[in-house]
Amino acid sequence: MGVVHGQEMVLNIGPQHPATHGVLRLQVKTDGEVISEITPYLGYLHRCFEKHCENVTYEQVIPFTDRCDYLASMTMNFGYVVAVEKLMDIKVNDRVQHIRVIMAELQRIASHLLATGVFGLDLGAFTPFLHMLRDRERIIDLFEMTCGARLLYNYMWVGGLSHDLPKGFVEATLNFLDYFEPKIDEFENLLGHNKIFVERTADIGIMPAEVAINFGVTGPNLRASGVNWDLRKDDPYSIYDKFDFNVPVGQGIKGTVGDSWDRFYVRLQEIRESVKIVRQALDQLPKDGDVHQSMPKKIRPPKGSIYSRTESPRGDLGYYIESDGSDTPSRLKMRSPAFTALGVLDEIAGGWLMSDVLAILGSLDIVLGEIDR
Amino acid sequence: MSEDIQLLIDDVVAKALAGDMDPINNIEDRVTRSKAKAALVKAKRSQPKTEIKSNASENSDVKAKDTIEQVVIASLSKNFSNFLDGEQNGEWIQIKAENWFEIAKHLKENENLYFDSLQCNTGFDLEGGMLESRYNLHSMKHLHAIEIRIKVSIENPDIPSVESLWRVADWFERETYDMFGINFTGHRDLRRILLPEDWEGWPLRKNYEEQETYHGIVVPKVKEGWE
Amino acid sequence: MGLLENRFDDNIVVEKLDKLLSWARSTSPWFFQFGTACCAIEMMAAAASRHDLMRIGIIPRSSPRQADVMIVAGTVTMKMALRVKKLYEQMADPKYVVAMGSCATSGGPYWQHGYHVLKGVDLVIPVDVYVPGCPPRPEALIEGLLKLQEQILEGRPLTRKTG
Ligand code: SF4
Repeated sequence: MGVVHGQEMVLNIGPQHPATHGVLRLQVKTDGEVISEITPYLGYLHRCFEKHCENVTYEQVIPFTDRCDYLASMTMNFGYVVAVEKLMDIKVNDRVQHIRVIMAELQRIASHLLATGVFGLDLGAFTPFLHMLRDRERIIDLFEMTCGARLLYNYMWVGGLSHDLPKGFVEATLNFLDYFEPKIDEFENLLGHNKIFVERTADIGIMPAEVAINFGVTGPNLRASGVNWDLRKDDPYSIYDKFDFNVPVGQGIKGTVGDSWDRFYVRLQEIRESVKIVRQALDQLPKDGDVHQSMPKKIRPPKGSIYSRTESPRGDLGYYIESDGSDTPSRLKMRSPAFTALGVLDEIAGGWLMSDVLAILGSLDIVLGEIDR
Repeated sequence: MSEDIQLLIDDVVAKALAGDMDPINNIEDRVTRSKAKAALVKAKRSQPKTEIKSNASENSDVKAKDTIEQVVIASLSKNFSNFLDGEQNGEWIQIKAENWFEIAKHLKENENLYFDSLQCNTGFDLEGGMLESRYNLHSMKHLHAIEIRIKVSIENPDIPSVESLWRVADWFERETYDMFGINFTGHRDLRRILLPEDWEGWPLRKNYEEQETYHGIVVPKVKEGWE
Repeated sequence: MGLLENRFDDNIVVEKLDKLLSWARSTSPWFFQFGTACCAIEMMAAAASRHDLMRIGIIPRSSPRQADVMIVAGTVTMKMALRVKKLYEQMADPKYVVAMGSCATSGGPYWQHGYHVLKGVDLVIPVDVYVPGCPPRPEALIEGLLKLQEQILEGRPLTRKTG
């Protein structure tokens, strides 16, 4: 296999580019069509999250966590309140726990729908995107019914929730799930087994397991590489140990384990698992229990620090909180899963063709708000 | 894939299964390398016993009654002397900056500790002229986690970089540098990551003052003098 | 000519052409999807199923060269500010700007401690319509775009403004 070396060319993608999912700049060095190096430039959406946290009280941090990962605000809230509750040693009642799990899993479905839809869009498939957004809207309606907001919810509070479930929520959710479950197969056929889509994703951008671990890649991207690692199973927080669900891992059905198609497929399978969890949680939902019951009057955690992590749709979401005993955190750091997922891009995209970069980037499912914070 | 590449891949995978990862890492061509690594994963999966996770209790060295911090300190003091910095409080390990790279290497490669994932790297301004870098390490094999803290003075904030051990530290350290100005020596490419290259100051230090203008655009919040 | 006599003001020709032009412009403002943050998701939702912006003649374009309206959806940071200006300059005249969300309007939730956030995109480019909200609902964005259409309709491109 002879290799012809041409002149090196430097190509700039972004920061305004429809396929970079926000404002990200990639500097791509290519040799002809083949990529030799990608340098991502971040920070176009650096909104000083950590500085804000040092200046506002613990309650006021929650809206800012919403705005970091705007595609999965519920799980961002969830991770934060779990961390603060651990730090303050608060136990919340069962109803709150169940509602939180329901919300987090619905959010996971919504986020994965958008992720897979936009992935298809990046590769030129417009119809699946519209179908997925249509169903995402229905989930958003459920959220709106609960807390009044469509995108940034500020729903989970330390020690409780902002509102209890509204009347008719359970029925509406069950209705939605009944409608939605057959649709997952439809999405799978529409996109997953589409010849063009398979050609462009299978065997492209392979991420071996040890590379993924070394680069700190987590979540569906790690699982697609064949590693069975899910914090909901391996380090259960909240009440995830009560539910029965599987952790889908990449199997290389269309190509090699850990290729872009696997990352897509793992997300699709996770949607199915989330549906299962929501059904169980709705089933077991305790009838009574005040959602404001264990909310502290004043949030002043004792001196100390904590690193707590939860599973967001993008991976291990960690919060490092250092408290000095006052009502504002003295340091709060978010370990964002998309940040590490983007870090691996150079490693796995090198050697592929120019047109594959966007396929690989799309398959990593990054959200710039969370990367830059 | 041509035939000799396939042969090459088979060869390096066989070597890697025998425990020698160097041939794989030495492959020049990135495509072939990633293919080889993928093949290795496939091969490992077909072997029944090499699971990524194993049970922590199987391990004889990690006794149930010792906390992980004690185990780590005991294991480290066999190889290093005088590495602790000040008193320890049992929730984290405070070490000196000098030997950090070697210690990290030990933490990562020792069979009983095996901290294979660096979860988080946080900077911290202790005020009074000290900065701190904190590392949260986690082992996916033994399911244990520790926190390491390293203090440096603000005038001379040098900490050895561990980016060649855990590649994830590459960006973490750049971020800590960007926010606190901690200098990670030996990092391959220590630049600002989030803020623009020509930004002034280290924003997350407690005494940070915003700069007045950036390229002619007014930065501060006060609306006076905008027109 | 009896039909038209005394029916119109003076300057009849210029007035009518003006109107024709602004009417034509107002019904097809193709927008440049310049989403930076959370608001971009709502902009996407507005353009996709259910809200469907296309039914009022508003079509997303990915290139500034093909767009008439720039919807700045989301937070603009210092690092981005100079690029925003450049993108605005790349658009062909006539061009309009919609600042979507409180971030683009005034810095939004980040107005106080956001050392790296531009406190309102109007510091670098002129803005025609502000859509408040964090994030504005798609309906609000559509309302803002309808307001912009009104504004375009009232505009008189051929009449030189004095003063
Ligand atoms: S206005 Fe609110 S929703 Fe819009 S970009 Fe700013 S923070 Fe996000």
